[in-house]
This record gives sequence, C-alpha cells and structure tokens, in this order.
Amino acid sequence: MKVYRTNVMLCTCTMCVSVGALAIRKRLEEEIKKQNLEDEIQVILTGSSWLCTRGPTLIVQPDDVVYQFLKEEDIPHLVEEHLLKGRPVKSLMYVHPETLYPIEKLHDVPFYRDQRLIALWNRGIIDPDQIDEYIARDGYKALAKVLKDMTPAEVVQEIADAGLRGRGGAGFPTGRKWEFCRSNPNTPKYLICNADEGDPGAFMDRSIIEADPHSLIEGMLIAAYAIGASKGYVYIRIEYPLAIKRLISATAQAREYGLLGEDIFGSGFDFDIEIFRGAGAFVCGEETSLIHSIEGRPAEPAQKPPFPVQRGVFGKPTVINNVETLTNLPRIINFGAEWFAAIGTEKSKGTKVFSLAGNINNAGLVEVPMGITLRRIVYDIGGGIPNGKEFKAVQTGGPSGGVIPKSLLDLPVDYERLQEAGAIMGSGGLIVMDEDSCMVDIAKYFIEFTKDESCGRCTSCREGLAAMHEILTNICEGRGKEGDIELLEELGEATKEASLCGLGKTAPNPVLSAVRHFRNEYVAHIRDKKCPAKVCKALIEYEVDKDKCTGCTLCARNCPSQAITGGKKKPHSIDRTKCIKCGVCIDVCKFDAILVTTGESP
Amino acid sequence: MTSSGTLEPSNPGSASSQVPSDASPPSPVGAVLVVGAGIAGIQSSLDLADSGFKVYLVENTPAIGGTMAQLDKTFPTNDCAMCIVSPKLVDCGRHPNIELITNAELAELTGTPGNFVVTVKKKPRYVDEDKCTGCGLCMENCPVTKAVYLDQEKVEVKLEPDDLKRMRSIIEEYKDKEGALLPALHDINISYSYLPEHVLRYVSEELDMPLSLVYQIATFYNAFSLKPRGEYTVKVCMGTACYIKGGNRILEAFERALGMKVGNTTEDLTFGLETISCFGCCGQAPVVVVNEDLHGHFRISQIPKLLRSYKEAGNVKTEA
Repeated sequence: MKVYRTNVMLCTCTMCVSVGALAIRKRLEEEIKKQNLEDEIQVILTGSSWLCTRGPTLIVQPDDVVYQFLKEEDIPHLVEEHLLKGRPVKSLMYVHPETLYPIEKLHDVPFYRDQRLIALWNRGIIDPDQIDEYIARDGYKALAKVLKDMTPAEVVQEIADAGLRGRGGAGFPTGRKWEFCRSNPNTPKYLICNADEGDPGAFMDRSIIEADPHSLIEGMLIAAYAIGASKGYVYIRIEYPLAIKRLISATAQAREYGLLGEDIFGSGFDFDIEIFRGAGAFVCGEETSLIHSIEGRPAEPAQKPPFPVQRGVFGKPTVINNVETLTNLPRIINFGAEWFAAIGTEKSKGTKVFSLAGNINNAGLVEVPMGITLRRIVYDIGGGIPNGKEFKAVQTGGPSGGVIPKSLLDLPVDYERLQEAGAIMGSGGLIVMDEDSCMVDIAKYFIEFTKDESCGRCTSCREGLAAMHEILTNICEGRGKEGDIELLEELGEATKEASLCGLGKTAPNPVLSAVRHFRNEYVAHIRDKKCPAKVCKALIEYEVDKDKCTGCTLCARNCPSQAITGGKKKPHSIDRTKCIKCGVCIDVCKFDAILVTTGESP
Repeated sequence: MTSSGTLEPSNPGSASSQVPSDASPPSPVGAVLVVGAGIAGIQSSLDLADSGFKVYLVENTPAIGGTMAQLDKTFPTNDCAMCIVSPKLVDCGRHPNIELITNAELAELTGTPGNFVVTVKKKPRYVDEDKCTGCGLCMENCPVTKAVYLDQEKVEVKLEPDDLKRMRSIIEEYKDKEGALLPALHDINISYSYLPEHVLRYVSEELDMPLSLVYQIATFYNAFSLKPRGEYTVKVCMGTACYIKGGNRILEAFERALGMKVGNTTEDLTFGLETISCFGCCGQAPVVVVNEDLHGHFRISQIPKLLRSYKEAGNVKTEA
C-alpha cells in the first residue's frame, strides 16, 4: 500500500455536496497535479466529517488542520501555501465566535473537542466507499470476536450489561428486546434496521450511513448472530439517495470479502442484507407500519401485542433496531460492556448523537455522553445563537417531542429527564429557536405535519389532530377565543389516550409542551391579538425604517404586490392594504431597513 | 296501547310494582317504525321498546343483523363483532314491544309527525308463515345446494411496445417475491417519474394483486404521483430547521413565481412544485432541491435566477 505524506480529507456528505464539494475536489486534484505533489498528497472523500453549516470543509492530516467555507478559487492558494510550503492558511480556518481568533487544530475547536465518538467512531476519518479503510480502523474485528469466541446468549448478555437502549426514541433496552427474540423458537427470524428517519430536523442516520456504512453492516451482523436471524432489511428513506448509494456499495464490498452471505468466517453463520427503500411516509417509522410496508401491505400500524419480536415481518419473530443503536455495537464488543456502561447516567448509558440545527452558530452532528446539559450542547458545542439574538427554546424529538424553555437549559439530557420536561429524546433532532420563533406557529407547524402524515386509521388521531390544527390556525390568524387553550389541552390528552400507535400517542406533545412552557404567548395571541415573536402573518405589519432606508429602490422593484413606493434616494413606504407580508423586501434589503412590528405603531 | 307495565321485569328502571300507577309520569303513547335492522336499527328499537314504545322494525333482508353480523372484529377495541351483536339480536326477537317485519320494504309514508300512516310491502316467502316453525328441515333436503359463481373474465392489459420493454425487466425482478409491490412502484417511478394509470393496471395483472391494493399503496406514499411530473421538480424542504428559517415563505414565493399552488405542474411540463418533510440537510437550512441538485442557504431573491437557469440551460447544473 502506498504511503502519502499528507492526506486531505474532503467531506462529501449530502450537505457539503450541495454547496459545491465536488467542484472543490476536482480543483484540488488539478492543483495538486500542477504542483507535482500527486505522489505525496492524497485526496480522500469522507462523509459528514465536521460542521455541516460551514461546508465544504476539509481536514489536512496529520497536521490536524481544518478549513471551512471553501470556494473553488481558494484552492490554488491553499495547495500552494499549506500543501507545498507547509504554511496553514489562517483566513480559511474556524474563527472562535467570541475571541474572533482563528483556531488551527481540529481538536482545539470547541465543537469537536467536547464530543465523545462511539457511533460516529469513523466520522471524517475514512472513505466510506473503501472497506479496507474501515477494516484498518479495527473494522469487523468485533464480528470476528463474536463469531469465534461468544455464543449468541453471551452476546445478548454483553449488550444487556452495557445498558444500551434503543436510540430510535423510545429507549427500550436493546438486550431485553434481543432476548425475547432469541428465546423465541419460531424460525426464520428477521432483523430490520430502521433507517426511515422521518422526523423533520433529524439527520444522524443519514450522516452515519454516509460516513460509515460498514459500522452499520457490522452492527447488523452482530445483532443477527445474537438473535439468530439470517436475513436483514435496511428500511431507508428514498429522500437519502447518497446514503442509499453508499450502503449498496458497502454491502457489495462486504459480500465480496465474504462478510455477508453464507458461512461467514467459516463459523456456519449465514446472513445477508436487503436494502428496502421507503416512499416518504412518516408513519413507516413506526415499527408495525414499517413491517406492513415491507410486506407490501398498506402501511398502517397494528395493535401491540403481539410485538414484532413475537410476530413481525411475514409473521416471524423480528427485531427492529435503529441505525445508531446498531452502529454502537462493534465498539461495545471491542471495548467491553463495562467501558460502555461507565459513560452516561444511571439509567441512560453511552452517548447520543444529536443533529443540532436551527438558529445556532454551529449546526451539525454532535455525539455527546448522556447526561450532558443542554446548555453545554447549545453554547459550548453549538457556539450559541447567531446575530446576538436571545435563546428561546430547544425542540427535541421532532413532531413527537416538545419544546424545552430557557429555564430548563441545565437539564441533563437523558431519556427520563427529557420525558419529565414534557419532551422526549426521540431520534435526536435538536432544533434551537431564538426569540424570533413563535411558539404557536411552531406548534401549528408540527400538528400540520402529523395531521398530514396520520394514516387515518384511528378516529382520535385523524379527527383530533385536525381539530387541534383548526384551533391553532384560528389563534395564528387572530381568531382565537377564550377557552381555546383549555380545549387544546383536552383534545391533546384525548388523542394521546385513544390512539393506537406511537404517531397519535405522541403527536399532541409539541402543543402540550408549548402550552405548558409558553402559555403567555398563547394568551397574547388570543387576548391581545399580538404575536410577540412577529411571525404570525395576520398579527404583524411591515414598515420601512426611514432612518436606515437609502432609497435604493431594490425592495420596490422586487415587491410582488407593488406595495412599496418611494422615489430614488428617498425613504420608501409600504402600503399596508397591498402588502401580502411575503418577506421579499426583508430578504433583498441590504440595510436592514424593513421592520416587522406587532401592528402597534401607526 | 303500551305502558310501563309491558317493560321487561329485568329492566332496573321499571320497578313498576313499587310505584303507584297514579304517581308515575305520563306513559309514552303511540308506536314507532324503525326502518333497517342493522346494529343501529336494532339498538334504537331496543332503547325505544325499553322506554315503553311499541316498535315496528322493518328489514329488507330475511334476517336482522345487517353488516355487523358479517364482520370479524370492530374498531377501535378489536372486540369480536358477533359477541356484541348477537345478544341484541336475541333481545330484539324476544322483546314483547318489538314486532319484526323482515323481508319487507317501506312502500309509502304519509301524514305528519305524531300521525303517520305507513304502508309496508312484504315480499313473498313462498311458505305459510303461520305453520312454519323454522325447523330447517326443508333447507337440508333441498337438492339445490350450490350456486355457481363464474370466475371474473380476465382483463387483458395491453401496453405499447415501449412501455412493455421498460416494464418487462421490472416485473421480471419482482414477480413471485413477497412484498414486491413497493419496490416495483419505486422502479416505475424512477423510469416514468410518475405512476401512469395503464402501467399500474398492468402491474396489478402481472403481480396478481387487486387494482384497489395497487392504488391504495400508490396513493399512500408521498414519493409517488399519479399525475405526470414536470421536467424539473422543485422540492421545498419543510423540515423544522428550514421552517423556522422561512421555508414556508420560500414556498409561497415559488408559488407566485410559477403561478400555481404547490402540488401542481406548469402547463408546459417544465416545473413541478412539491414540498418534502425533511432532506436531512438541516445545517444548510433553508433548502430547495431541484431534481437531484440541492441548493442550501436558499434566499427568496435567488428564485428568478434559479428558474431561469433551468429553463434556459436545459441540463446545465448550477450551484446556488
């Protein structure tokens, strides 16, 4: 194998590709060739390596230097200065949000420094399309250990001892789930990896598969051996084309190496994986719906019990695990249950991957030990709120979760504590909201989503959510009336109580938690007909700040309803009767001269 | 003609023996006609009869019970349907205040509330009802026991040669496999960019699945469309992160720019407009995807340029 002096790790996840990572790759290779460095420097394409908002990003190893916000035209300079002359380019480095000083080393960046990587063990280090690179990082070592030295019962015990709980959201102990399936005499058994990451605002499953598909395959092999399954499915969203492509390529390579198929490692254990593409239905993330979807039946949930471990896909015992749960397994086997159990809190062990997004400086994938406080995630790792705005709330668990207000920022993050606060761990989406987010509007957004995604089987979910949506729409449009809040609470509780599957049982959570923590905002909408966050269209007005407006006419030219008038170099004004509050003027104004008010001033 | 005295003695509300007759409230008078002896008709008749009305229960078929008697389980409790309905059938048949008129139809109704005149047409049974005891012997001895149901004529679905060529490989791959429908629909969706009706009919025949099931699956998932899609499908992400960064305003701006509501396609089939619940690219929020190209950190002001670049340059890819 050829050894290179320097490796340039370019992130090519979906997000970095969307901002031009592939053009950068081409330019990099051209420039390296131009400088005659192709025998010394290698470009490696990795997945989800770093801060996703700051893409395209690039890490130079072994120098441990990280570059962000790359543009094609930066590349010649970067190659010449750093790769040829060995002088890192400061202008392209991460800048500390407070000290404003560039940070050179990747491991000194707070975002990276405070993370603990288990599921994301190989993030940004290996090329996901090269199985050899995974094997070089102790890949498939855990599988060999399991197949050669351990019985299935021992594997189940090891995972139970580690205290691993399902990372899909509900947090059911993985070891116990496996034991139910392992001891079931019915055969054949199936293993399903749930990669139908339907929660809006969650992207860790996509990133894990894009960055390290072999960890998932190895995890599935270990799980399959433990429960006695010989066939596995990965149910993955069709919205993730790159992840599907990488997974297909990874399974093909594993098959070629004899790591999937018959008689793996000569142990007599057979296992293969089929990749099953979902088709954009949120309810398919619910395990019984997912099973129906694989069977080719309408994807409506079924009553539990029987649980999938008793009667799953095609009526056979089936274990369904989340991507992150499965990718934890190789590390637990390699380092032992005690090592894993030492991380985290009393009831929640190990780490959790969160997808940090929303109004935050460093959006991206973070893996942190359980029990870390939200404050540390938001401020130390996430770098705080951009543009000097005030933190308002963090939303966890997507449409099944809830909002956590500022007063609970010191809450340690684990399954139980989040539940107490009215939210849930969920799959790990963490959406940070600043003062400009309206809690009624966000609740309406989630209910609209779950209302559309409800399969319609249970009356309580189908009608309850529609009724809640109507009330919330009325409140947002200034038609709220006294008693609406109480009615929302009653409807929410009833929907939770009477629905069959997880979707209906959790769908009212965003409303209930928002009402619980931000009741004042609801009252302001209903009683004063005001939207304090200036979001709800019917309750706000747009106007021009006469002092800031330079009269550039840009807004007037872009206004779709010709509501803005004013001469050149003179302050403009907005005709409120014509204004449709589309926000185009805010978007185009270069001087921040468009103000949004709650409609008080004339 | 009725009074509380005719109530069933088991009814806890009656207790007629203890209450002096002159102290009881005015007794209900008159009779009620209930049309249809399904579960609703049966329950209404029982409630009315228990409260003292004479009930005439008219049913079109020869037996009462309706659809519920044919069901296995009922929603939402999944209780056995017969366990719920059969005690009511017995109660209904035995209730002194209910008179069953089965195998009959309502022929005419005149009068005003409180004073209706009803004509009921009884269909012939071809047996003497006064003498028949319902022993069932005649049924056992009737020589005609089986009716013959012919197989429905198989519909031959013909495809154009071009369609047939596209479809053959898809069908070959999935035929005789369990759970083949969804993957097959995915492949058709990739090949045609939507699910044409004639192709779905063909799939239903070839995979030997009811067309209703194919339709149910095809309309259940957001990834499929039964209408032709435009050459470029603009998908606006409505994930939480995109939403709080103004995703809905971007959608409205696209609606204005394309002159149509979301879920439609422009007349020249150039652009289609859809929303998607999340691309998992929350770090680049707000996100807009055109076919396979992802445009992150999207701003409303970029829309005209974006649409123009696709319209003019054909397949030239742009970076937002």
